Amino acid sequence: MFKSLRFLFLLIAVVLAFGTALAQDGGSTLVMARAADTTGLDPHTQTAFASLRLLELVYEPLVVLDADLNIVPALAESWEFSDDAMTLTMTLRQGVKFHDGSDLTAADVVASFTRILDEATGAAARANYLSIASMDTPDDYTVVFNLSTADVPLLAAMASVNASIVSSEAIAAGDFSATAIGTGPFILDEWIPEEVTRLSANAEWWGEGPFVDGVEMRVIPDEASILAALRAGEIDFALLNDPLVATLLRGDESIVLNAVPALAYHVLQLNPSRAPMDILEVRQAMSCAIDRQEVLDTASLGEGAVTGPLTIPAYHVDPSTFFCYTKDLAKAQELMAASGVEPFTLKTIVANAEPPTALSEAQSIQAQLAEIGITLEIEPLELSVYVDRWLAGDFDAAVALNGGRPDPYTMYVRYWTSTGNLQGVANYIDETLDSLMAAGRAEPDFAARLDIFTQFQQHLTEVSPWLWLYSGYEYTAHQPYVVGFEPNATDSLYSFAKVSLER
Amino acid sequence: MTVSAQSQPSELHQTRRRQPGVLRRLLKNLSGTAGLLLVIFYVGVGVMGVMGATPFPPNEQHARDRLQPPSAVYIMGTDLFGRDLASRVIAGAAHSLRVAVTSVTLAGLAGTLLGVTAGFAGGWVDSLLMRLMDVFFAFPALLLALVIVTILGPGTENAIIAIAIVYTPIFARVARAPVLAVKQMEFVMAARCIGGSSIRVLFRHVMPNTLAPLIVQISLALSWSLLTEAGLSFLGLGAIPPMSSWGVMLNEHRALAENAPWLILYPGAAIALAVLGFNLLGDGLRDVLDPRLRGRK
Amino acid sequence: MRRYLLQRLFAFLPILIGVSLLVFTAIRLIPGDVITATLGTEAGMLTDAQRESLRSYYGLDRPVVEQYARWAAGAVTGDLGVSTRHGKPVTDLIGDRFPVTLQLALMAVTLALLVGIPLGILAAVRHNTVFDLFVRMLALAGLVMPGFLVGTLIIYLLSTVFGVLPNAGNFVRFNEDPGLNLRQMIFPAITLGFAFSASVMRMTRSSMLEVLGDDYVRTARGKGLRERRVITQHALRNALIPVVTLVGVEMGYLLGGTFIIETLFSLPGLGRLLVNAISQRDYALVQGATLFIASVFVLINLLVDLVYAAVDPRISYDR
Repeated sequence: MFKSLRFLFLLIAVVLAFGTALAQDGGSTLVMARAADTTGLDPHTQTAFASLRLLELVYEPLVVLDADLNIVPALAESWEFSDDAMTLTMTLRQGVKFHDGSDLTAADVVASFTRILDEATGAAARANYLSIASMDTPDDYTVVFNLSTADVPLLAAMASVNASIVSSEAIAAGDFSATAIGTGPFILDEWIPEEVTRLSANAEWWGEGPFVDGVEMRVIPDEASILAALRAGEIDFALLNDPLVATLLRGDESIVLNAVPALAYHVLQLNPSRAPMDILEVRQAMSCAIDRQEVLDTASLGEGAVTGPLTIPAYHVDPSTFFCYTKDLAKAQELMAASGVEPFTLKTIVANAEPPTALSEAQSIQAQLAEIGITLEIEPLELSVYVDRWLAGDFDAAVALNGGRPDPYTMYVRYWTSTGNLQGVANYIDETLDSLMAAGRAEPDFAARLDIFTQFQQHLTEVSPWLWLYSGYEYTAHQPYVVGFEPNATDSLYSFAKVSLER
Repeated sequence: MTVSAQSQPSELHQTRRRQPGVLRRLLKNLSGTAGLLLVIFYVGVGVMGVMGATPFPPNEQHARDRLQPPSAVYIMGTDLFGRDLASRVIAGAAHSLRVAVTSVTLAGLAGTLLGVTAGFAGGWVDSLLMRLMDVFFAFPALLLALVIVTILGPGTENAIIAIAIVYTPIFARVARAPVLAVKQMEFVMAARCIGGSSIRVLFRHVMPNTLAPLIVQISLALSWSLLTEAGLSFLGLGAIPPMSSWGVMLNEHRALAENAPWLILYPGAAIALAVLGFNLLGDGLRDVLDPRLRGRK
Repeated sequence: MRRYLLQRLFAFLPILIGVSLLVFTAIRLIPGDVITATLGTEAGMLTDAQRESLRSYYGLDRPVVEQYARWAAGAVTGDLGVSTRHGKPVTDLIGDRFPVTLQLALMAVTLALLVGIPLGILAAVRHNTVFDLFVRMLALAGLVMPGFLVGTLIIYLLSTVFGVLPNAGNFVRFNEDPGLNLRQMIFPAITLGFAFSASVMRMTRSSMLEVLGDDYVRTARGKGLRERRVITQHALRNALIPVVTLVGVEMGYLLGGTFIIETLFSLPGLGRLLVNAISQRDYALVQGATLFIASVFVLINLLVDLVYAAVDPRISYDR
């Protein structure tokens, strides 16, 4: 009866031996892994980060952001605002082909923006392009956007997967859920949801590259397992979300870890439409009671930086100049006393593991608010329930990780303008915010804009409808032989087109 | 799987007479003794947790002492928040004890009631109740618990309800089988003949005979419920932080295990020991209470 | 026997109807909106009219009773509807994922039996020796560790110490590349089988102990048969009867309850498919997959009872 045991050990030994012998198969396909999968293929309606990471390889907008968040040419070769910022003229790159072989022309650009602006499409970023009143095409490679109002941030808003140019034939055919015909460096061959996505290099791509035969995107739901796969040499490249996992690679010589300060920000959103958060002093007291650095150190092991509302490097302001950004318990208590509000209890909604640090942030804030007699109850929710409640503004407070944009106006138009479509989530607006946002939108001069948005940040942190905490890093990790990847603040994988494998 | 009941009615009845010596016999049984000791230890620690007899308040954060390895001050080290792990493990014992005992009590009561009713009533009542149990039984345990907690929302109470519902059908089956067997036996027939009411027969004669298998089942169910709670917590559906629960502690710190192994080691060992205790105790009880095994070691 | 079989098959139907009702209701009790679950925060962009048209697209604007009737009618003809997340028929998805889970379960059970039975017999034969104690302790170690912990540990050891995690994240079906497939499956199977081998070992040991004391075994010994033969030919057959039950119950559990291991090892199994479907409020997929898992579970139980009758002469279902 020992036989079966012996057989078993033999079997395992053989399997292991095979495993080591065949661990690497070489080839020139970039194999990457991530925890979440694409949720859909329509570039205009998808907003899930996981979807964007795939779509930005297949579809291209007119302009893109480089690693330093500068706007650089993509499908448009050059552009020009009129002096009054009322028209934007784009010159298209010539000789660009869609994956189905058809040529990119001005008609496709017009068709794409018409589709985005059509309410029935349900385009994610539609609100950002509403200033487009009409479009003219003087020739096949020129598009003139006539604007209804001066709109400088429009250009930055166009640097988004959600403003991708799709072919007019595809729009006529009407189905974006099964196929993806773009102009990008990679062609989508196969998408098996929750397993693997396969892309091959687009030999006709207008740029230089790609230098790999293709990209294989695998879904490994557990980040610790992604790390394990990276260490075992089974994958070339990985997207990581959890700072606790990513930091395990610090000091690991055999794997390259990229950590780029993120545009996304961790925030405790208060709901000023509910008592007692409707009282300014109460919100300010909460702001003064929280040591933001401690939240960062605890929840993210210090991976990141304390931030105000704007995370864009060009608009950076020293956070210590913001209202009560150094913990001041005495002032917090004073403010509470001034508000006349008795110690109270509020509930914060937290999405389960989204972001992975959310529950830790909540616990750290909970302990700190307790010091001024505020009881914070944590209500963990499954992600989709959380999103429902968040959209409905149905919370006292919400721990959130909100995405950032490269332009302050596009970043916050949804929340801090009286017509913003997420005003019901923000639940706070005043005239100062409204007028500063309007001024920032129309101002073409950078120095003047910086001044406007610095005032905006200072005002927002002072009225404290939300308590901005910190921004972390966008992590990518890869084997040392992966050369040419450009880590960036938006976590874009567009530079896969420049990547080569030099094993 | 109700088959085994048919082969043991006569022995079951004997169990009752020998009941008084259970503890003594259990102590002669190696695994029973070890199990009993572990369970007593676990319950003791749990009681400490309930009474708040911990070195530090379990939720107190010491920002400066984040992620400290075990030392004289923090004997099991500290976690991400600088909370004392030993205190949290003790508080976690209280929490898991509460979850396990409440859920198993609920499941045991509901299941026994359903099972005994079904078995005793027979006929369509039996069919209806047992088919209903079959419906619940047709789901893998953790999956059913997951669905229930997803409906109710995360939290200790909801986890307890979910675990109780999941294990109710098992108790119903365990309780029903001996009832069926006992019902056919002479002394019950006799009791009925001499005019004993059904209820009286049920409580005086039938119930005591279902005790032996139930006791064994309870000790095993306690160990499962600990593991189920840990599983739910792993999925973020268990206790709500900062409540210290072993499962939550494991889940919260899984990613840190590589650099701070104590964060996994101690809660992991705590779960393992508690589960081990209930398993050994269950084994021992089975040896002692199951007459077919008696007389052999 | 035939009558019993018919009876059991007949009882199968109400259980399935019960399960389908339960699942149908349960998924609708879960808070959260299908449309938000599909679109995320962008659901906030939708106008009321768009929301309505989406609801009618998913058939959610109809009365619940009608939704159930439609679904049940479809299910009878083998049409479980279309998954909103995958855009494919639910039956196709189950057909694609179930073999993975089935293979995993079979491998885990096989490993558990290969380890558990011999160890159990040895422990029983060398009853109360150091070996017995050691084996029992080992078995208990398997039982008392939460599966996700064992899995995490195995993955960690594989990647850092051995440097292998075969083709992680890109699962290969058995028919595509048997060698690679087995290398991918062996460790999750060990993780699952570890705990189960403990149960098998314990069950084998205790029923073996029981059988070894029985009269016929004594008779066999009395006849002068060698101990080895007594054990393998006389005792084992009877001792394994409870193990059969155990395997049945465990198979049923493994076919739907392996989602944690499937997630850790990123295997595209049925369990992970179902759990993801729950969080995405993919009603058709949740309903279909659960109904399928429950049916398989009930069928396996039936099968176990039949096997039971076949190996244990004392049990007869004909009365």
